Amino acid sequence: MASQLIDVNISKKYAGMDVLDNIKFAVEQNEFLVIVGPTGCGKTTLGNILSGIERPTAGQVKIRGEIIDPHRHNISYVFQEPSCIPWYTMIQDVTMGLEIRGVDGARTMERGKEVIKLVDMVGFEDYYPWQISGGMKQRVAIARAYATNPDFLIMDEPFGHLDAQTRYLMQIEIMRIWGQERKTVVFITNNIEEAVYLASRILVLSKLPAHIKCEHVVDLPQPRDLTSTEFLEFRAAITKECEIVE
Amino acid sequence: MNGKGMEQTKTVVYNLLSLVVVAIIWSVFSYWQNSPFFPSLPAVWRAFVGLITHGDIEQIGLGAHIWASLVRIFAGFAAACVLGIPLGLALGLYPRVYNRTRAILEPVRFIPPIAWIPLAIVLLVGFSRYAFLIWLGAFFPIFITTLLSVTRVNPVHVNVAKVFGARRWYIIRKIVIPSVLPDIATGMRVGLGIAWMCIVAAEMIGGEMVGVGRLILKYAELIRMPEIIVGMLVIGVIGFIMNEIFIIVERRIFRWRSEVSID
Repeated sequence: MASQLIDVNISKKYAGMDVLDNIKFAVEQNEFLVIVGPTGCGKTTLGNILSGIERPTAGQVKIRGEIIDPHRHNISYVFQEPSCIPWYTMIQDVTMGLEIRGVDGARTMERGKEVIKLVDMVGFEDYYPWQISGGMKQRVAIARAYATNPDFLIMDEPFGHLDAQTRYLMQIEIMRIWGQERKTVVFITNNIEEAVYLASRILVLSKLPAHIKCEHVVDLPQPRDLTSTEFLEFRAAITKECEIVE
Repeated sequence: MNGKGMEQTKTVVYNLLSLVVVAIIWSVFSYWQNSPFFPSLPAVWRAFVGLITHGDIEQIGLGAHIWASLVRIFAGFAAACVLGIPLGLALGLYPRVYNRTRAILEPVRFIPPIAWIPLAIVLLVGFSRYAFLIWLGAFFPIFITTLLSVTRVNPVHVNVAKVFGARRWYIIRKIVIPSVLPDIATGMRVGLGIAWMCIVAAEMIGGEMVGVGRLILKYAELIRMPEIIVGMLVIGVIGFIMNEIFIIVERRIFRWRSEVSID
C-alpha cells in the first residue's frame, strides 16, 4: 500500500448545526481522490477545512503527521467560484503563489510560463480576466494551483460553473495535466459521472449532516471513455451500491 | 465601433438640444415676467462678460474668484482624503472598532456643514475656516464608501492568497487595497462634488472678499440677479467639468473593472 500523505478526522458545526459529522479518511501520495456529495452537504466547507483556511470544530487535518497550516505546508486550492484576481494579468495571477512564497523573479516567470503552457493558454499571458471566457479562467485557476508544485491539491467543483461541453473538455484536460505533473489531489464534485471519469478512488458523502457513506476504488484504466460499457456499468454499480439517487 | 461613435454623437446632439430648449423656456419666462429678478439670457451674458473684463464691484475678476474657490476646495478635499481613506480602511479592516464607535461617528454625519458655521467662526480663523467646512462636506462620503467597500472584498480573492500562506499585510496590500480602490475613487468623486457644493457656505464665513461663493453673496446684498446667476452657473459648470474629468480618469485607471462594457 502506498504511503499516506493526508490524514483527515474532523467534525464541523455551524451555529450548533452539524455540517460535517465525523469525517474520517486518508489520502495517499499521488492519489486522485474524488469526493462526491449532493448539493448543500457541506462539500465546500470540507474543502476549506482540508486547505487549512477554515478550522474544524473537532479533530484535525494532518499532513505527514503535522496539523495542516497554509503558512507551513505547500497546499493549493482551486475554488468553486471564479477566483481570478480581476486586477492581475494571467501571468501575474498564476505566479501569485510563488510571489507569496518569495521565489526569485526569474524562476517565478519561468514556472509561470511553464504552467500557462501546461493549461494551453500560451498567448494569453497579458490578458485580464474580463477579456477571457469562463473556461479559460478556470484553467488559469488550475495553472495557479499547479505553479507552486503543491504537495496537496484540493479542487472544489472547479467545473461547476461551466457548460456541459466545456466541462467535458476540462475533465480531459485535468487528466492530461495530472498525467504530466502527478499531484496528490482531492477533487470535490456533485457529479457522479465526473467522479468515475477522474477518480482513482471515490468517497461518497451523505446529505447533511455529511458523513462518508461509502468508498470505492475505481480500477478502470486511464484514459476512460464515458460511453464505454465498462464505464457505464461501473457508474451504475457505484450508484446502486452507494444509494446515490441521480 | 461605428455604432458606438454614432451613439456618442447622438448623446452630444441631444444634450445640446435640451440646452436650447431650456434657453427658450428661460427667455419666454423672463420676457413674460419683464422683471429685474428674472434677467434675460443676454443680461446674464453681459454680466458674465462684465465680470471677466471689469471684475466685480471691487474690481476682482471672475478668474480670481474661481481660482480662490478651487484652491480652498482642493485644500478641504485633500484633507478629507488624507483622513477619510486611511480611517475608512482601518475601520473596515477592524469592523469591531467601528461598531463600538458608531454612536460617535454616525450622528456627526448628519449634521449639515452649514450648522457648523457658528462653531467654525468661534474656533477657527482665516483659511482654516474654509478648509474645515469643505472638509466636513467631503469627509463622510469618502470615509463611508471606503469603510463599506472593505467589507465587500470578495472572500475568494482573500482565500486565494491565504491558501498560499500569505500574511495579513500582504493580503491588505495586494488584495484588499486594489479591490477597494475603485470604490474609494467613487467616494472621492462624490466627496469632491459635495466639497464644491459647500463653497458658498464656507465663503460666507471666510472673511475674504474673493471666491465664487463670496461673489454671489456680494451681489445678493445688491439684489443684482444677473451676476448671481453667473456665479451659480459657474459653480454648476465647474462641478460638472470636475466630475466628468474624474469619471474619465477612473475609467482609465480601473480598466480591469470594465467587465460589462466590453463584449
